[in-house]
Order: sequence, then C-alpha cells, then structure tokens
Amino acid sequence: MNFTFRRKRISGVLVVVPANERSFAEEMRNFNFPESRSLKLKEVMGYDKRRVVEPGVCVSDLAVFGLEQLFKQNLLKREEIDALLLVTQTADHFMPATSSLIQGRLHLKQDMLCLDINQACAGFVIGLMQAFMLLEQESVKKVVLVNADVLSRKASPKDRNIYPLIGDGASITIVERDVADTVIHASVKMDGSRASALTIPAGGLRLPSSPETARLEDVGDNNLRAKDHVFMDGSAIFNFVQTEVPPLIKDLLARAGVSSEAVDYFLCHQPNRFMLEKLADKMEVPYARMPNNVVEHFGNSGSVTIPTVMAYNLRERLLREQFQVCLAGFGGGLAWSAMLLRLGKLAFNQITEYK
Amino acid sequence: MDKPEFYQRLAEILDVEEVKPDNVLKDFDVWDSLAILSVLAMADAKYGVSVKAEEIRSVVTAEDLARLVEAKRK
Repeated sequence: MNFTFRRKRISGVLVVVPANERSFAEEMRNFNFPESRSLKLKEVMGYDKRRVVEPGVCVSDLAVFGLEQLFKQNLLKREEIDALLLVTQTADHFMPATSSLIQGRLHLKQDMLCLDINQACAGFVIGLMQAFMLLEQESVKKVVLVNADVLSRKASPKDRNIYPLIGDGASITIVERDVADTVIHASVKMDGSRASALTIPAGGLRLPSSPETARLEDVGDNNLRAKDHVFMDGSAIFNFVQTEVPPLIKDLLARAGVSSEAVDYFLCHQPNRFMLEKLADKMEVPYARMPNNVVEHFGNSGSVTIPTVMAYNLRERLLREQFQVCLAGFGGGLAWSAMLLRLGKLAFNQITEYK
Repeated sequence: MDKPEFYQRLAEILDVEEVKPDNVLKDFDVWDSLAILSVLAMADAKYGVSVKAEEIRSVVTAEDLARLVEAKRK
C-alpha cells in the first residue's frame, strides 16, 4: 500500500541503550555447542556485543529516561509535545497504554494524544507514517515518536536461535512540519497469514501464562524454549525478507522517480549482518551504502534499529548535511515497510546510556 | 543446473575440500542450523529459489539437496 506525505520532517533522534553490555563469546558458553561453530556464527552473523536491560526494567523506563534528558538539555519542551506515539511489542501492561504511563510520569499536558502502536521491526516507518498523518491537523505541531522494546525479557537464555541476537533499547524521534515543500514516499505491506513465524505464543488471553507455559521444552538442536518465550522461525523470516523487501523498495523508488544510485543510504532494520549482506547483494547496493553493524554493537532491538543506524553510523553527518535515504523495516506481523525521504540538518542525533 | 558447481558451493559452506553426491549431510561436523541457513541463502542468491529449512532437513544426501534446488527452479 502506497502513501505520500508533504512538508514533514524528522528534526531530532535520541537513542537510549541500556548500559548493561553482554558479550556473545561469554554467553555462548551457556550453550551446548562447539566453540568453533560459535566463532563461525559470530563471524557470519556479526554477533558480538549487545545491550540488554537489567531485570525489571520496562519500556516506559527507557522512554522516560530519554525524554527527561531531552528536557534537561533544552532540546525539547514538555508543553510542545502534541502527540506521543509509542511503537512497542513489549508493553508495561495490557492496560493502560504505555504511552499514557509515560505521559503521566513526565507530567505532560492533557491537551495531547497518546497512542500505543503494536508493531515490530517494520514499526519505525509505520510510526513515522502515523506522525505525518497527525501533523496534517492544525493543532498538532510536534509529534514525539518513541520506539522501544525490551524483548530480551521474553527470550529463552537456552535458545541459541534468538537469545544471542536480541538487544533492548528505545529511540525518540521528533517529527514536525517542514517549511520546504518536501515529498516523502512510503509503502507498507502486511501478511497476517504468516504471523506465526515470529510470535510469543503464551502470555496473552488466548494462552495465558501458567506453570505449563513456563516449562522449557526441547525444540531441537539442543535449544530449550517455553511458550512464554519469543519464537522466531529464522529461515522463514530469511526467505520472507529476501523475497518481499527488494520488490517493495524497487517499486517505492520507481514511484518516486529516484534511481537506486541516487539513494545515499539504505537504512534498514538490523536483524543480523548476514541477512543485510544478502539483501544488499540482491538489491545490488554496495555494503557501504547499507550499514549492517548495529547487531554487533547493540543487538537487534526491533523497531529501534533504524534510528540506531542513524545515530551510530551518521551521528555528526546528519547534524550538518542532508541525505536522500531509504528506510526499510521488516519482521513480525508479518509486516514490511519502506520510506524515501530527505534526512539531515537534525537538531540532535545521539546515543545515551540508561543506567 | 551445474551440479559440480553446486557441490563446490556446498563444500565451502561445510568447510571441506570436496562434497560427493552420495555424502550424507548429517555426517558433516558442521551440519547445523547455521549451515542450513547458509544453504538456503545460497539457493536464493545463486539459483533464485526459496527453499524452506524443513525441506533441507528432510533430505539425506548432497545429491538429494541438489535435486531439491533444481526441482524448485522449474
């Protein structure tokens, strides 16, 4: 599905990563797996370091920490937030919405909209789209888009398929109107018939958590996982990404009349280095224009990875310069999304540590 | 499909000098989920086909695997 937006821009990005760093080499000792293969996994997938929260830390904690820092540094004022959008799959509670909890903890004004959006790795683009739509309203001048997940809390420490790659984090993206007559193209596709490829089977009302759903089961290859844990069919997701994402981006660029060479950077969701290299190969994009190093430094933090690419790889440059970038996210839902926009001249673009 | 080339690509994934058609995949030390992912990435990149991990796990020999990829191309 195609979307077009006018006169909208991203004006600042702050990424919050937990201070707690884990090392893949150390964690692999917990698995029943030869060391040589661990090294191979590290080399191919790019697993090395990742950031995860301490026990008990929730999405709202990361978001409140980041927003308070922006208030303190005078990069954002409480009263100018007209909408707070939170994209997460790991909410603090079923109810109320975590965005409302964040609003309450920060004493934001009542005259605003708080909205939780349940989206995964395609969620940065989807959150931006919602922000752009809200900015069509005269009363909405500034939208704060928060992407945040603490999925490490739902990953089995005995499941080598997913545990070593998960990172936690939050990003705060300021979205507002642009005085220049900019055009932003976006495209989103969904396929709920493949939803079971990436899921947490228990813990909702369909299958409430119980001693039974907490029991670790042998799921093959010496991996143990409970129904309370996140499950990912890695090979199905790999095939999904290689099949669906290149045509989505190709069609988006064609619609915008922009050649692949004219795109300065493809800032994609960061599942692992391997998948991004294969995606770049398929799209015939040099690796230098499709960064793939977020997983090795921070882990895969769902919809937070695209802002992390911006803040980690283009920190200074995005403050001074402006680029034609293509964003692309893909994952749980299944959902896949892409957006072509001019990005740069940001007021801030940084990473901070949550302690 | 150029079968010798396919076996050579498989040998690279399995970290061995050579793979023969009748070699049993499970007999290779490194036949694990990473190897399977590498095979399906190779099938996608070099032969333009999507193979499922379950399909790869269900075949026995290197030749079976070559046939699986070849059948998908048609």
